[in-house]
Amino acid sequence: MHRRLSLVLVALAAFLATLGPMMRWYDYPRVVEVPASQYQAVVLQAKDATLIDYGTLTGVPHQTVTIVQTLKGDTAAAAAEKKRTGRDVVVWDGLSYVLGTDGKMISSIPEVYVFDAHSQEPVHCCGESVDGDPVTRTGIEYKFPFDTQPRDYQYYDPQTRTSAPIHYQGTRDYRGMTVYYFEQTIPWTQVVFPKTMPAGITGLTPATITALGYQRWYTTTREFWVDPVTGAPVNGEEQHHEELRFAKGSGRAPVTVFQGDVKIRSDYLDATFGQVRSQRQLVLALSTYIPWGAPLLGAVMLGLAFLFEVRGRKRPARNGGPDSVGDGDEDGGARQVPPPERAPAAPLLGQPFGPLGFDQVDQSEAR
Amino acid sequence: MRALVAAAVGVLVALVVGLVMVPLAHQGGPTSPKPLLTSAPAHP
Repeated sequence: MHRRLSLVLVALAAFLATLGPMMRWYDYPRVVEVPASQYQAVVLQAKDATLIDYGTLTGVPHQTVTIVQTLKGDTAAAAAEKKRTGRDVVVWDGLSYVLGTDGKMISSIPEVYVFDAHSQEPVHCCGESVDGDPVTRTGIEYKFPFDTQPRDYQYYDPQTRTSAPIHYQGTRDYRGMTVYYFEQTIPWTQVVFPKTMPAGITGLTPATITALGYQRWYTTTREFWVDPVTGAPVNGEEQHHEELRFAKGSGRAPVTVFQGDVKIRSDYLDATFGQVRSQRQLVLALSTYIPWGAPLLGAVMLGLAFLFEVRGRKRPARNGGPDSVGDGDEDGGARQVPPPERAPAAPLLGQPFGPLGFDQVDQSEAR
Repeated sequence: MRALVAAAVGVLVALVVGLVMVPLAHQGGPTSPKPLLTSAPAHP
């Protein structure tokens, strides 16, 4: 019986020792991916911000600007790309809808972001664009890759339509979770006007405002607190500053278009953190828990198998060596010679009895 | 010898489980975290 059990344990040990590495190097890179059917909305707010009044062309302080950002996975486009190239891609149709203190629309900027579902490398297809303009991204946007490394990444800035390094600046404790902190500063750069301008102002279009010689300049400092397991930011902030600048020689000072600290609304922060915390356990199971735990458990199983094997071999000796009756399922058990009937008890007591020593005499036999 | 056979069976079953897991996981939806949007948009 012991020997049969030891064989089962050997099989289990081999199973676990193989399963661990298999999970880490075969399953993990193939199974862990961003789903193509993602849908998500996040609300960000900039309180006590300064916002331009286009009627007077002055910056008005103490405004609350709300930004509703939605992401919707275009599954049809992703499936078409998969069919064409065999690659798992995610096509995100994003929209940033900006509202002023009065609830009126200030701007609405659509975006199409396409990337590899596993590695998050940008993919150039499926109408990749920002505000309707075709772009070719490099680097990451919105989310960091799975298994984020403590190093700088190239992060795509949709305002300037360029990528720039986002610098790793160490770990931080965020609600008890160790996260990576990244920061990116985009220096003052001239950028295009959004195609959708504030509602209710007659004649205000990107073309008319550009024709007047106005320029839009922008700078920002972007901060991310990122869960390195999933690559999902659990928090983000942006110190955003935009100016309307006038043609050289006009003598007019720049006007603040928007200045504010954009933060995720607290209820969305809570929801995001809860989501990331639960999802990271699934990813950790595939990347760490099973790859390390299974071989360790396998080693324990192997040890137990060895133990049972040794016991199985000793047992015949305990029962009288080669002349004893073993378990029916042990090697040679059925062929073993039965003991002599009613062997004399007294002479056996105190006799050395095989490898088990003096005290291992079968008392039932002794009686 | 019997231990070797048992170990081979264990390895084989693990390989099958690992291989089958990929299509199964894709069938039930991939494991992934939800991303977070934090990029503030432009607005004049």
